Amino acid sequence: MDLSLSEEQEMLRKIARDFFHNEFPKDRVREMEEDEIGYSPELWRKMANLGWMGLPIPQEYGGMGNSFLDFTILLEEFGRALIPSPLVPTMVYCTIPITKFGTEAQKEYFLPKIAAGELTMTLALTEPSATFEPWGVKVKAMPDGEDYVINGVKLFIPDAHVADWIICVARSREELEDEKEGISLFLVPGKTPGISCTLLKTIASDKQYEVTFENARVPKENILGELGRGWPIVEDLMQYAAVSQCALMLGGAQEVLDMTVSYAKERVQFDRPIGSFQAIQHKCANMLTDVAGIRSITYMAAWKLSKGLPAAMEVSMAKAWCNEAYRRVCAEGHQVHGGVGLIRVHDMQLYYRRAKVAELAMGDADFHREKVAQELGL
Amino acid sequence: MDFSFTPEQEKFRQDIREFLRREVTEELIQEAELGSLIGMGPAMRAFYKKLGEKKWVCPSLPKEYGGLGATHVERLILDEEIAYHRAIPPMMVGSQVVAPTLVIYGNEELKQEFLPRIARGEIEFALGYTEPNAGSDLANLSIRADEKDDCFVINGAKTFNTGCHFADYVWLAARTDFASPKHRGISLFIVDLKTPGISLNPLYTMDSERTNEVFYDDVKVPKKYLVGEKNKGFYHMATALAFERNFPVGFLRRNYEDLMEYVKETGKNTDPLARQKLAQLKIELEIAWSFSYQVALLADSEIVPEWQAPMVKIFGTELMWHMACAGLEILGLYGQLQQGSKWAPLYGRFEYLYRYTRRRMISAGTNEVLRNIIALRGLSLPRG
Repeated sequence: MDLSLSEEQEMLRKIARDFFHNEFPKDRVREMEEDEIGYSPELWRKMANLGWMGLPIPQEYGGMGNSFLDFTILLEEFGRALIPSPLVPTMVYCTIPITKFGTEAQKEYFLPKIAAGELTMTLALTEPSATFEPWGVKVKAMPDGEDYVINGVKLFIPDAHVADWIICVARSREELEDEKEGISLFLVPGKTPGISCTLLKTIASDKQYEVTFENARVPKENILGELGRGWPIVEDLMQYAAVSQCALMLGGAQEVLDMTVSYAKERVQFDRPIGSFQAIQHKCANMLTDVAGIRSITYMAAWKLSKGLPAAMEVSMAKAWCNEAYRRVCAEGHQVHGGVGLIRVHDMQLYYRRAKVAELAMGDADFHREKVAQELGL
Repeated sequence: MDFSFTPEQEKFRQDIREFLRREVTEELIQEAELGSLIGMGPAMRAFYKKLGEKKWVCPSLPKEYGGLGATHVERLILDEEIAYHRAIPPMMVGSQVVAPTLVIYGNEELKQEFLPRIARGEIEFALGYTEPNAGSDLANLSIRADEKDDCFVINGAKTFNTGCHFADYVWLAARTDFASPKHRGISLFIVDLKTPGISLNPLYTMDSERTNEVFYDDVKVPKKYLVGEKNKGFYHMATALAFERNFPVGFLRRNYEDLMEYVKETGKNTDPLARQKLAQLKIELEIAWSFSYQVALLADSEIVPEWQAPMVKIFGTELMWHMACAGLEILGLYGQLQQGSKWAPLYGRFEYLYRYTRRRMISAGTNEVLRNIIALRGLSLPRG
């Protein structure tokens, strides 16, 4: 047993932290809330030049062949810096299922381009049903000659406006008894006629979209995985996706803790730093404990995924815990900061608002606790 | 990063499990659960002796004193399994407090006199720290030890000294210097509880424990039973135990498994609220487990887990509280029934847990005092 990071991993962490700190200060994060594109293509290119887009991609497809655990470390720093970007949708939601379930042709087409930073992608999974259960998939993809024709509305789709490609989860056969059956995944070019995106106004001012498919045509070779057997792929990618959200939350929570403790040491009231009051100290101690819990359970899940071990239980434990622990960390952070944390130019409120988005992405705590209960055989 | 155990550690755990499956009887569990009232009953005494033969009473001790020179991870594995099998001996002050302190601060004579007997499970110690005006503020203790001829003469009172009615010795902190600042006038002694002048008054707690007020009236302790340096006792206590604090979750895991079984057997497993509660407990259990191994791994790397150990204690005892609450909520009206009632589910163990948890959140450093330590040591926040 060894719960520490390797030298290379520590190095990656340090490089990533410095890079994001220097390249994308928080004012840029604030700017991006108002920006139409919502991320920096320049930063994207720089990250690609560092090889980070290829981190989890196998070497034979132009990647670095690192483990998912290594990528988790990068994501942690990404979350700490609050970088708005289609990184997670591209690198996790799409790259992982293509790598694991794509045909040779699909892998050869997508993976080298992703590794080179030439492609952004997203996953169109959720719908107005707002659930991560298979019954929520109502968008239809019906065969028509050599094509499939997609119709329906997807909701809460991250970065759809800039996605070169969208993996659309759709029902290719109707009214089967088992809701998991008859679902297929389609690789759809973002500019396909019939696709339109409308920005949603969200708590974090991030880029989530309503994506409408109106007779959008895709050739049948664009199916990812087996026709009608797409749900197991969704379940698999959701494990990586949920842990990625945990990693982002971990970085965010660590930063909130750090900034709160610094503030508690500097801010003087009643002639002493407020951090010398036990009321504040105990909040900080609770925050540290929560962050340690987030770290511990996130890395346990990431390690299991990296080792190819069954991880459904650990993933859901991690997401359920991180969702609520990060929320607590942000709430306590705000309380320690007092009024100053509320103003727009302060970073505290950036984390608080984004924590809610991360909490909801890829399953809230109740959803994942139910998964844990199922894994426990209840 | 590697969350798995080495084959040697797995084998060690397997050996312990096999031993415990063989040796732990209903009678032993009953005695263990009455621990602080009766001390060791016949079954526990026999079990403890066998543990001693395996060198598992105090495995961290160096081999020359009767231990195995075990790592902290190995000791945690052992503690976890013993707790899981509900075979926790009534007092472990000898192996967990006295032995590690003697190894560092005891002279050779004291080591030879006590360590092998502790390792064999032959003697037991009680802890003599707390006083009416020295709880969280332990350095405020006022019981006095005056040097006279070849003895120290102890006078004063202790309270909440559990186990003094059955232990052989008490590990006593007493004031040897009233002039210096309070941390700098405390010394540690090993006191034979049969020494004339010691009298006890039992205190019974809501979680069915017995603890004691202990009165010392001209109790003579030979000078050779002073541990370490005179007036350095407070520092000896802190330093020697810096690597020893941890919170094995075996006991909680066992209770959790029982609750899960109950829920499945009674059909409550379809209740969405019960499912949520059980899933949440599982998550907290895994985090507490992981924290405990992090503490052990730090100690094995000779890094003092100064804030990590308080963290696992807080997290573990709060998990205990969450488990007690969730358990009683799931049991509903039956939750209030105690062991002995034919209607009591799970032998009343959750009803007991609900009472016991209050003590665990207070003893061995209240969770509030421990949060202060985390804030000061873990986050370098300023002192008040």
